[in-house]
Amino acid sequence: MTVTPAVEEEVVVAAKPKKGFTFPGDETNLGIIAGVIATIIVLIPGLPAVIKAVGMIFAFLWGMDSVRKTSKYGLGTGVPSIGVLATGYGIIGALVGAACAHVVGSIGPVAPGVLGGVVLMAIVGYLSGVFSNHEKIIGMKIPKLERGMMELGMAGTIGILLEFSIVAGSLDFGLVVEKAISSGLVAIMFILGGMSMFHPYNACLGPDERRERTMMVSVEISGLLSVILGIALLVMGSPWGIGDGISLIIFGALVWLVFYRRFIQACMKECYATVGTGLIKTLG
Amino acid sequence: MEPITALLVVVICVILGGEFASIGVHLIPVGGAPAAMGTATGIATGTIQLMLGAAVVGLFTASSVATFTNSILLVSLSGAVGAMMMMGVVMLMANIIYAFGAGVVPVSGRVAVDPITRESQTEYKTPQTDGHGVPNVSYISGMVGALIGGAGGALMYFALLNYANFPAGVAGIAAISIFVANAIIAAYNIGGTIEGFHDPKFKRIHKAIFSSFFVSLFCGVLVWLTANLGGLL
Amino acid sequence: MPIEVVLLFAWMLVIAFLAFIACTFEDLESDTGSQSNPNSQVQLAAQVGQVNRFFNKAISGEPLSNAMYSATAGTVAWVLLQKFEPLVPDAKWKVAILAIPLGVLAAAMVHVIFATTAHCGRTAAQKRFEQPIYLDVLYGHLLPIATHGFMTTFCITSIAYIQSNIGYLAFGLENHPLNHPFALPLLCFIWGITVGSIGSSTGDIHYGTEREFQDRPFGEGKRVVYHGKITRYADCGIRTQRDIVGFCAKFGGPCTGLTFGLIILFENYRTLVGMRLGGFLSALPAITRPEEMFILAGDLAAIWGIVVGLLIGIALTAGNMVLVKWLRKRYGPFVGV
Repeated sequence: MTVTPAVEEEVVVAAKPKKGFTFPGDETNLGIIAGVIATIIVLIPGLPAVIKAVGMIFAFLWGMDSVRKTSKYGLGTGVPSIGVLATGYGIIGALVGAACAHVVGSIGPVAPGVLGGVVLMAIVGYLSGVFSNHEKIIGMKIPKLERGMMELGMAGTIGILLEFSIVAGSLDFGLVVEKAISSGLVAIMFILGGMSMFHPYNACLGPDERRERTMMVSVEISGLLSVILGIALLVMGSPWGIGDGISLIIFGALVWLVFYRRFIQACMKECYATVGTGLIKTLG
Repeated sequence: MEPITALLVVVICVILGGEFASIGVHLIPVGGAPAAMGTATGIATGTIQLMLGAAVVGLFTASSVATFTNSILLVSLSGAVGAMMMMGVVMLMANIIYAFGAGVVPVSGRVAVDPITRESQTEYKTPQTDGHGVPNVSYISGMVGALIGGAGGALMYFALLNYANFPAGVAGIAAISIFVANAIIAAYNIGGTIEGFHDPKFKRIHKAIFSSFFVSLFCGVLVWLTANLGGLL
Repeated sequence: MPIEVVLLFAWMLVIAFLAFIACTFEDLESDTGSQSNPNSQVQLAAQVGQVNRFFNKAISGEPLSNAMYSATAGTVAWVLLQKFEPLVPDAKWKVAILAIPLGVLAAAMVHVIFATTAHCGRTAAQKRFEQPIYLDVLYGHLLPIATHGFMTTFCITSIAYIQSNIGYLAFGLENHPLNHPFALPLLCFIWGITVGSIGSSTGDIHYGTEREFQDRPFGEGKRVVYHGKITRYADCGIRTQRDIVGFCAKFGGPCTGLTFGLIILFENYRTLVGMRLGGFLSALPAITRPEEMFILAGDLAAIWGIVVGLLIGIALTAGNMVLVKWLRKRYGPFVGV
């Protein structure tokens, strides 16, 4: 649909810019804004859970946007597949990130090691994009698939890292493994994290899909995820005390309520008609 | 185990597991959405969903078996047989629903004669469809594919559990993640649907094996890096 | 045979029974709100001019959606178990009776939320095909969806609970090595994926091939030209998703349930029979620590399990060959036009 700016965006990403918000809301800019905010939050693992949840919402929003722009062209296996790929990469990347943080240690409150996982996963994501899109290999012929898969790897990794750090309270490798993964909580992180990336576009699929509407679903699911993680946090315990879990639950519920209402209202307003009941239009 | 030996063993096991996942995806008969309407041969669901379901049943048994045996072969085979059984029951019951719920005979749309049983196919096929049901050749192909795919998942689980010293939960979710990545890339290679080894699309398998090799290689190195940096080795 | 071993077999049968119920309701749930592969036709219907009153519940494929409900239920149940198990240290099962239904209730709420977003989102994206949102369709289906999903998720969570505590339930020992190494939410996730995978690969056929195109000729695959032209009229009035459940509950649902029940039965059966043949079961009552599990009888148990599994696999293949041969003879070549 937007064919002309494609080349421009490709160049911008290759140069990895840090600013340039000329067209807010545009795919590239959203990626940059969300990516930068989420990265800053993930770098400081000692923050309260609510702030990490904000970062998580941004990370998954970014992932959702990447899913949307890659699966717009038809993948042949349904929208969810690429979201699951992102989550799978996210789990591996988050493990690597936590392990890197374990070695690098922290400078003040900042743990720069986690970036190792994000960068490595970006490389793996880019490579799988190249393999899938290159004419001589799989040849899916989807414009900008390389970039999309790279962003998915990064967004998935940051999102899962933030989830780990919410539940474990820090990004210490031992704590992450014990509290977030061996306890089994990783299951809900995997599936709901994935859902907030691939469910929105899958649920809003159709010729009259609108990007803003799709984004509301992603934020809404992240809110639900926050509620469930908050419930888990009540048991896991956090350095900030019991208020951490309760505030996360309240925050998640508020986010969910606001965006769910807005989404349903937007759908009912923008659809062909919202009728209480009625018969179907028969073919003349 | 020394970190370098562990690197070799983990990477080799993950690559093998990824390749097995990739090959397994190419062998199972998946019809995707058209198969749910009896318009295409195969099972009426997506490639990844079916392969993941089968591999996960295998993984469940493999993880049970890994608590009482130390042999990598036995654990992988247990996973393989679990996946095969899941696929076998699913395909048989799918045929029963096709036969008694919709009244169709399982028939292949890609070949005129079944390469294994030598039964002719064309005259049983509904016009304007691409076959329907799970014919014998696809059934056998699917059993073999699930066997290979399940072995891949279980192999990765065992390697992560015992060579990278991950706790059971971490090994399980990491194995699922790597498996899924490979299965999805293989699914992109076949465009979502395939009938089995007799399908012309099967000839593209080398492309998936090539991609899967590198993706698994990187995942294997990353897993080893995690274990090494995290102090598990 | 010691009572513990008998208990192991008994729990296995309970698990198989729960699996049967779980997958039956899983398939019916995907018919209550049109989901997974046949939903492509509901999606296509408006596009080819067939405005309909179906519930377009596109929650990204059944395996993932069921994994989500089950993982949600498992997580909430796990949290409650962790919180309240210390209160009743000598009768932990009492907590499970409270925790599992509450967890599943949370999952049912999540399910309803996802169902509304999917239906409204997909319908709003079909504006140009003049497909309205019928509020009675939207509200009227939410409760059946939630209740069918509740049954599935409840059974799956119970299976996961039993499996992650099987050593405790059979031997009465805390942290028995026979307990499954995966935690409760992860087991829920795994079985959620499997139940959805089976529900979408077997049960959907009855809905997609037969019920969605019931005014087309029986006994043939549905031709490409029919795609999107689904049956929109019920026995009386206009068809909604609720007319479909009743039909599929008579054949597709139970068949799907049987599939998952058989898989669980065979899987557990071959492991237990392998343990019995390998002599592991008789050694089991003496084992209390995980390291003691690695004995020769364990290897033998694994080998026997594989052999039994392969035999079942061969039997299934032979069964399919007989079925296909019989069908070809009875049904004959295609005779329509």
